[in-house]
Amino acid sequence: MSAPSGTGPGRVLVAVYGIFALAATSRAAVQIATRFAEAPLAYALSAFAGVVYIVLTVALARGARRLAVAACLVELAGVLVVGTLSLADPAAFPDETVWSGYGSGYLFVPLVLPVVGLLWLLRGVRRS
Amino acid sequence: MNGAYSGWLIGAALLLALAAVVTAVRDRPMGPVLLAGLGLLELAVLAQAGLALAGLGHVAEKATFIGYLAGTAVIPPAAMWWGRAERTRWGPGVIAVAAFTVAVMTGRLLQIWNAGA
Repeated sequence: MSAPSGTGPGRVLVAVYGIFALAATSRAAVQIATRFAEAPLAYALSAFAGVVYIVLTVALARGARRLAVAACLVELAGVLVVGTLSLADPAAFPDETVWSGYGSGYLFVPLVLPVVGLLWLLRGVRRS
Repeated sequence: MNGAYSGWLIGAALLLALAAVVTAVRDRPMGPVLLAGLGLLELAVLAQAGLALAGLGHVAEKATFIGYLAGTAVIPPAAMWWGRAERTRWGPGVIAVAAFTVAVMTGRLLQIWNAGA
């Protein structure tokens, strides 16, 4: 149960999550600071995504497995819900979030990442 | 900011990412060459940031632009710090992710720059 989640392949995963934490958080910060009124829902979701990525980066790096699994599930739900909403009701999302169109603006990495994260975390549990 | 310079920077970053991927595929830990490459990338990124900030008046989306500049400057040292402790093929993996990200972000910087004021 104590196999570290932030070493080996996990180290690359943490790096990718760290970059998304940086990207989503700074994007949200710019959006909220400069034009929050234009798309409050999209920008609030950007900020939420940023927080989820920060939590995941830290949880994976420090081996907080339970927290990481929970955050991965939130992340997966977020990508699927926001992705679907952004396609079903584009008017509600006049500006992009990381999760719009299932992360199409980020090479769909936001969609793949939680799946890879869960596989990595659950595989680690079984093995140790 | 200078488009040709940034073009070369993108090419160099992608080359470093490729070298790191090759190292990872060959199952080698990172060596002095990759670390030096990451250091050179950081110097190149800082030079670009200097050029870009000198011409900031040209840019319409200033906040986003500065955000990307800061991001590209922070990523190589962060990757070095995070990847160095990993003495397996996954250390170069971290470098590959970082270098690829710098290439993509430099591309976005160029787009914002070329969009002009």
